[in-house]
Amino acid sequence: MKLYRNHVLVCGGGGCQSSGCKEISRQLRDELIKLGIGDEINVVITGCMGPCSLGPVMIVYPEGIFYCGLKPESVSRIAREHLYEGNPVKEFFYRDPYSGEAMATIHEIPFFTRQKKVALRNVGLIDPLKIEEYIAFDGYFALAKALSEMTPFDVIKVVKDSGLRGRGGAGFPTGLKWELTAKASGSPKYVTCNADEGDPGAFMDRSIIEGDPHTLIEGMAIAGYAIGAEQGYVYIRAEYPMAVEHLEKAIAQAREYGLLGKNILGSGFHFDLEIRVGAGAFVCGEETALLSSVEGKRGEPRPKPPFPAEKGLWGKPTLLNNVETYANIPAIILEGPEWFKSMGTEKSPGTKVFALAGNVVNTGLVEVPMGTPLGDIIFDIGGGIIGKREFKAAQTGGPSGGCIPASGLNIPVDYESLKEWGTIMGSGGLIVMDERTCMVDLAKYFLDFVQEESCGKCTPCRLGTKRMLEILQRITEGKGKREDIETLKQLGEDIMDTALCGLGQSAPNPVLNSIRYFLDEYVKHIEKHHCDASVCAAMFLAPCQNACPAGVDVPQYIEYIRRGMLMEAVATIRERNPFPSVCGRVCTHPCEDRCQRAQMDEPMAIRSLKRFAADYELQNKEAFYFNEDQQKANGKNKTVAVIGGGPAGLTAAYYLSLWGYKVTVFEAAGQLGGALNYYIPPYRLPNDVLAREIDIILRSGVNVVLDTKVGRDISFGEIRNHFDAVFVAIGTQQAAELGIEGEKSKGVMTALDFLSRINRGQRPEIGDKVVVIGGGSTAFDAARSAVRLGAKEVCILYRRSKWDMPALPEEREHAAEEGVKIFDYVAPVSIIPDENGRIEGLKCIRMAKGEFDSSARRKPVPIEGSEFRMDVDTLLIAIGAQGEVEGFEELELTGWKTFKVDEDTMQTSMEGVFAGGDCIHGPDTVIQAIADGRRAALAIDRYLGGNQEELEKAQQHKPRKIYGSIVETEQERLRVPLLTPEERKNNFREIELPFDIEACQREASRCLRCDVR
Amino acid sequence: MQVWINGNAVEVDSEMTILQAAGKAGVQIPTLCHLEGVHEMGVCRICVVEVKGSRNLLPACITKVREGMEILTHTARVRRARRTVLELMLSDHPNECLSCGKGSACELQQLARELNITDRRFEGSYSKRIIDDGTPSLVRDSGKCILCRRCPTVCSQIQGVSAIAPIDRGFKTVIAPAWKESLINSPCVLCGQCAAVCPTGAIMEKNDSQKVWNALSDPGYHVVVQAAPAVRVAIGEMFGMEPGTPATGKMVTALKRLGFDRVFDTNFSADLTIMEEGNELLQRIREGGKLPMITSCSPGWINYIEYFFPDLLEHLSTCKSPQQMFGAVIKTYYADKMALDPEKIFTVSVMPCTAKKYESQRPEMASSGYRDVDAVLTTRELGTMLKEAGIDLAACPDGEFDEPFGPGTGAGAIFGNTGGVMEAALRTVYELVTGKPLDRLEFNEVRGLKGIKETRVKLCDMELSAAVIHGLSNVRPVLEEIREGRSPYQFIEVMCCPGGCIGGGGQPFSRDKDVRAKRMQGLYKEDESLPIRKSHENPAVRKLYEEFLIEPLGHKSHELLHTSYKSRR
Repeated sequence: MKLYRNHVLVCGGGGCQSSGCKEISRQLRDELIKLGIGDEINVVITGCMGPCSLGPVMIVYPEGIFYCGLKPESVSRIAREHLYEGNPVKEFFYRDPYSGEAMATIHEIPFFTRQKKVALRNVGLIDPLKIEEYIAFDGYFALAKALSEMTPFDVIKVVKDSGLRGRGGAGFPTGLKWELTAKASGSPKYVTCNADEGDPGAFMDRSIIEGDPHTLIEGMAIAGYAIGAEQGYVYIRAEYPMAVEHLEKAIAQAREYGLLGKNILGSGFHFDLEIRVGAGAFVCGEETALLSSVEGKRGEPRPKPPFPAEKGLWGKPTLLNNVETYANIPAIILEGPEWFKSMGTEKSPGTKVFALAGNVVNTGLVEVPMGTPLGDIIFDIGGGIIGKREFKAAQTGGPSGGCIPASGLNIPVDYESLKEWGTIMGSGGLIVMDERTCMVDLAKYFLDFVQEESCGKCTPCRLGTKRMLEILQRITEGKGKREDIETLKQLGEDIMDTALCGLGQSAPNPVLNSIRYFLDEYVKHIEKHHCDASVCAAMFLAPCQNACPAGVDVPQYIEYIRRGMLMEAVATIRERNPFPSVCGRVCTHPCEDRCQRAQMDEPMAIRSLKRFAADYELQNKEAFYFNEDQQKANGKNKTVAVIGGGPAGLTAAYYLSLWGYKVTVFEAAGQLGGALNYYIPPYRLPNDVLAREIDIILRSGVNVVLDTKVGRDISFGEIRNHFDAVFVAIGTQQAAELGIEGEKSKGVMTALDFLSRINRGQRPEIGDKVVVIGGGSTAFDAARSAVRLGAKEVCILYRRSKWDMPALPEEREHAAEEGVKIFDYVAPVSIIPDENGRIEGLKCIRMAKGEFDSSARRKPVPIEGSEFRMDVDTLLIAIGAQGEVEGFEELELTGWKTFKVDEDTMQTSMEGVFAGGDCIHGPDTVIQAIADGRRAALAIDRYLGGNQEELEKAQQHKPRKIYGSIVETEQERLRVPLLTPEERKNNFREIELPFDIEACQREASRCLRCDVR
Repeated sequence: MQVWINGNAVEVDSEMTILQAAGKAGVQIPTLCHLEGVHEMGVCRICVVEVKGSRNLLPACITKVREGMEILTHTARVRRARRTVLELMLSDHPNECLSCGKGSACELQQLARELNITDRRFEGSYSKRIIDDGTPSLVRDSGKCILCRRCPTVCSQIQGVSAIAPIDRGFKTVIAPAWKESLINSPCVLCGQCAAVCPTGAIMEKNDSQKVWNALSDPGYHVVVQAAPAVRVAIGEMFGMEPGTPATGKMVTALKRLGFDRVFDTNFSADLTIMEEGNELLQRIREGGKLPMITSCSPGWINYIEYFFPDLLEHLSTCKSPQQMFGAVIKTYYADKMALDPEKIFTVSVMPCTAKKYESQRPEMASSGYRDVDAVLTTRELGTMLKEAGIDLAACPDGEFDEPFGPGTGAGAIFGNTGGVMEAALRTVYELVTGKPLDRLEFNEVRGLKGIKETRVKLCDMELSAAVIHGLSNVRPVLEEIREGRSPYQFIEVMCCPGGCIGGGGQPFSRDKDVRAKRMQGLYKEDESLPIRKSHENPAVRKLYEEFLIEPLGHKSHELLHTSYKSRR
């Protein structure tokens, strides 16, 4: 036998085939020959290795060095630098999705290390077309053992003892099925294999047949021996031509080697296999339908009983298992039942293969012990959610299954717990979804699938699924009715109760399951006509507009910018948001998260475009469209008090005033602006920009009373008595405390206090070493302000992973450029003061990843004994804030010390008193406060007898039009010029620099105009 | 064994279904798709019941009882599920009950009453409606189809034709010929057994009653009608009479009251057929013609052999069916005799059959120069016309068939039963060959509902071996034998429909599983009650030969009463 220095295994799975693995291996072989080492290195194309999204991939043995994302050029370099010169090429290593660190071998990459391969033991390791390679890995030894040392009864006993359960979905005990078939009267008997893998996204059976066809043959032959069958059929879908081809070749080889056919291994046992190619009906995965199809009839289920074990193919006892189940058999026979039971859980022993798909970094095929926590599969093996978005749900079991929400990330994945959560194992599809998935739409997708695939034989499945689908369609079009949810539930239950086969009986599952966990989404679609995920397009103009809490007509103002109509652009923004300049700078831009352009290259730079237009307005004439005549025409002679001059209060005041109300704003401080004024540092939001924006708002005729705090300077009752309606928007100013020892030491302050002093023009005294605790924008604002005040060393401590920080990625990036260090998985334990009561150090503890919490983030748990000390001169605490509600005792509160309001009317417990902004949600974004202010204004208008809402609705259906063409080739997103880190480190100048109209228009022409349909 | 139905112990047979067990216990479980012994598929799910220990509801019609089974047939859960299933069906069913030809015979409508459905809970789209009226016999309206699947079962299992089958999946599932073609482009034999089992108006005969009304109200026409034997033992069912009750005289009166100028009995031409066919058989035996000879009076059967076994067409008797013979005689002999212009004679036949409509329109069925038969009504259409005219058949006094053809013989009457043609032929052939009268007219071996019946009759020095087949699925093996040259028979009677014409596709709808046996008994009773029971003794037939045809198989017979066949492949 020829010995090679290295074996290079190139993945030949479906994913890698389509990304060009054949080209890669050809290139590699050519290159090796060119280098003169063609006979030292063996290049093998194997079955699927699993990490499909990284493809094409290959592994160099003996070291196990893993290369991914290969291109023909990269292969040439690997051939030369690694295989010829001996230096592995780091550039093509796998990179940890969290740290970005390069990982060399399969022995360290969690995708591989966390797996345990039984069914897939040879897949990706051998050349599937060579029976010798299979035999070299103990192939057919189990068959030989069964035939020579075991009676059929022994074989069945081993399978029973192993606890193996059918991997096709329902998890019926395999050994029991074998026993029933063996005991059934009737002859001949048949062994059949379900390789009609039809769940969207599942491809483990295909990979096994393509990558290790002999294991299926061996498993089926053993089954034939056990139940007394001499003929087997493999039912493969026609969509798997490569699987058919590999299995055909493997069967021919096995026959040639005497491992199929007459008198196998001289034992007197005959067994042969035939392939039946299915035409691709999902229902043919149902066992009786599959058998009908094998018989050559229309693939339709028949009623059970009789079960196939009694009356299967042509009325004879028939054993039916799926590919993965058979693939486990040889290993169980060879290694014994105890070995098998040592993996997995008590009731679900062994391993399970999952096809990981959806919004997860490492999509592909993975095999893990049963009982592995769901979160581990998704976040460790799968590498987490793409783009670090929020995990929403994991779908298992395909169209018959359901979704598990974030609260289920800790469950051990086995048959029992999935059932408990209202879903099923199915064939092992595992689709990961982030916040961009609409659960109503998802349920609709699966239902659409099953209703298309229903065989049409029984009434409930044929018509019931269609009616459910129609209801879901209505809901996603914003035409849902309140009773629809109840109808869906009832209809679903009745279908499950009455349908003829497993397909129908489980068809309503995705709907019932999503109603169970995501009822609020259904309600929102039906009652608010809103799809948070921006999927149900009939209910909004464009995803960006839908994602904006204030509902700003983004595509419209982008269109105006493109046409150079900047005033019109600003006027469009101002219809929903009176703070275009502010939001152009500090908005968290949820609009960009939903931008469809991201699927092509990058999302639109919406915030920057807004800033450009707004700045233009501030520097030139004003787009402010208020005029007194209109106000008079609207004149309503009603008075409204707004308590709190922050973004929520000013927004409400602005719109109410425009609509003709007499509005008075009461502000406790000496200046308007609230958090915008006091907590956002000038390098992000210059004071004059805010001042001019507020000035425009005031010109709508708003009265302002400064330095007047409710409860101190005026009573709430007095205000209530003097005005027809009151809007309370007092925000949250009371910073949260850590609650640890030494918090009162000098040098310890809240980030809010620190920031507000800076904004009032003070320079708070800080030491050389500044530590900030927290992970939100406030923490970063404080840290970066500390840098600007001259601190020598600034670091941020966060108890979770840095990926879990609520601050935006660009904030992290900018802070890092300015020298701020981030330490994650660290929590403060106590503050160490010096003898003067001044902070000297901070005792910290390291945290480890714990279980997942309901936000789909791992709960940090302290690592015992990991305490350490840091030297600290100034400690800034930025862990949140709460409202100060003194003076408002008459209003009912929630448990979070926020005002309780009716969700629809925004009215508090007191009639005519409304509330909005942070004082009802807790600390939130600026755009949310603005949205609340406008919603409150509409609610107050309605309360006072106005009809503004109807007027606006009537104006909504303007025709949408595109002027000019859209750039449909890849084009880089607008980059906003920034001061360099050096330029910005010692001052509070705004770090974003202006840019020109050509750049903006170029950017605007990238907008795909999703609103035009 | 014992099972518990709604808490009551019931002794049942281990082979029983829950439905049968419940029936035994006096508990009615609603069914829709189920047709005992014919179609047992459990697809509509109306009959679901709760069985203790089972996660889902189970269909009572196909679930076998088990010892100690605890069955609950009408719990809230069961009733809710049943209602939902039916409401779903109604949601894809046109709201056309008032104008649907099926009327109150519709089982879906009956079930909706039974389950007390009073509104349409589910609104949604309707599946695509395909109306196929491409054949002269049947109209299929997929919009009214509830996919109970009785029709494809009957078509494939009972008739062995498989012209229609479920096509496409899910909501788009439709029962149709391959490629959703019209029936006329399929192997369909137009027997109408599908229409006979259809619970709704999705498959109906093509309605020709307006054509007949028009003729009746046109004073320029002399309108005559012939009524097939099977009609008289079934039409009473539409007027509340027990199946099988002979209503011959009442029917004659009713037809006259409807306005027909003359009312004739197809028994006459059945006798005429026997004269021609019996002689043809003897001629083939004596002159070495193609044997076995197979009867040709069932038009569905003719369609079948023309499509599936065109190589065996020479085995068919060249005799036209009684319907067509009568038509030809009316347009020639009768016209002459009555001094009528055949152009102005409108011949109507009332048949238990839908294929007869097609047969009457075959181009070759006009050898007199005029269409033998101008319009064919099914038994059901006649019943409906009588109702429209306000004629209560049950209340009609007995009338008599008109001359010159008179009442026909008992041999003609039993033509409507499977085995009837054979028995009638044997009565005549025996006496023609032996010259001796039969001791016993009844040939019991060819009676009854067995699929293939055989008999041997000694005729002087030769023994005639004959077979009787009904239901086309039974024909195939016999034809294969002929094709392979190993058929033991000289003479074979084939009737397309199970039971013969009394079970024809145009007979009144019935869910009585004994309906065929009852109608058969009715015809045998009719036979016994008639004074003349042999075709060759029919005086009107004799007179026809004397005055017009001269002799069986003669020149005129050949021209008017015989035909030829062609492959439909």
